[in-house]
Amino acid sequence: MAFDRRSAYLYRARQGALDMLPLNLAVLPWGILCGSLAIQRDFSTLEALLMPALVFAGAVQLIVTQLMYEQAPLVTILFTATVISSRHFLYGLALRDKLKHLPLRWRASLGFLLTDELFALSGQSKSLRGKLQLVYGLGAGGSFYLCWLLWNVIGIVAGAYLPDLTNLGLDFAIAVTFIALVIPSIVNVAMIVTVVVAALLSVVFKLLNWELGLVLASVIAMYCGYLTTTIQAKLVINTKCNGPSLEELP
Amino acid sequence: MNLLTIVLLAIITFTSRYLFLDPSLPIRIGPKVGRFLSFSAPAVLTAIWVPIIFVKDSQLNLSPTNPYLLAALVAIVVAKKTSSIYLTLSASVVFFVLLRLYLPV
Repeated sequence: MAFDRRSAYLYRARQGALDMLPLNLAVLPWGILCGSLAIQRDFSTLEALLMPALVFAGAVQLIVTQLMYEQAPLVTILFTATVISSRHFLYGLALRDKLKHLPLRWRASLGFLLTDELFALSGQSKSLRGKLQLVYGLGAGGSFYLCWLLWNVIGIVAGAYLPDLTNLGLDFAIAVTFIALVIPSIVNVAMIVTVVVAALLSVVFKLLNWELGLVLASVIAMYCGYLTTTIQAKLVINTKCNGPSLEELP
Repeated sequence: MNLLTIVLLAIITFTSRYLFLDPSLPIRIGPKVGRFLSFSAPAVLTAIWVPIIFVKDSQLNLSPTNPYLLAALVAIVVAKKTSSIYLTLSASVVFFVLLRLYLPV
């Protein structure tokens, strides 16, 4: 019995890792870039290893590595990291009701692993509900962590021999992963509104060089999606009320 | 010095991910906020990928020879038709690499 349960958990964890595999592969160039950049910007091997192992965040690693190399003030570095990380607050909020009742070890481990990629994968309402789904999430997030570490290590080892990779277009793989995850999820008007608003605002804010723009664009887009569903619900009620009177018209 | 900075950075990224999972935080998510939050994944992910495609060095790049734009169009079509991450990724990345190699910059 206990044996059966364990093999069921193992199966779910493996399934999570398998479903995460395309995302793990998509961050390969990005991970190598982060690792090699750290070495090229005079980080020691230990420091370059601790970045993916502890900080575990591509965008923060990339930008902060450059800031630390330029000897920016600590306050600037920490503030920049907070701004870039602030989108994760939204992920925590969105998953709060599913995870807050769990024991600390589950919350802390899934929280640590809660990257853009894991959040994207656990977008459906049924995910992360029940222990099997949690093990699935752990398998997905854990495999992503190991791969991220490995890709960084490759970058660290090869960093001294690689040219500067920052302008090769390696961020395209990240963009495509999110296209692959977002486009199929656009199934109704509210989703279209959300995606279009997020797209337009994020570009405008990016052109203004506004680091907080990502979160602001997202929150406004989410509100527009929410408003769309509210308006749609009102329209349905109105047509239901007006329905009979319309039929009475000649 | 660098080590201390890295540890502080780790605290920041972990806190940003973990904070709202903590039950001691006095926040209750009602049905309205829940509906609002249900749009977080498409909103945030779109706000990440769209600027990668259209903005280069703080400049809007709408040029028909922008390899990001062309390859993203391929990705959108493949994603819409197949819903497969693997197919979307491989088709558009191959196309992107070919564009980078053969398009005059």
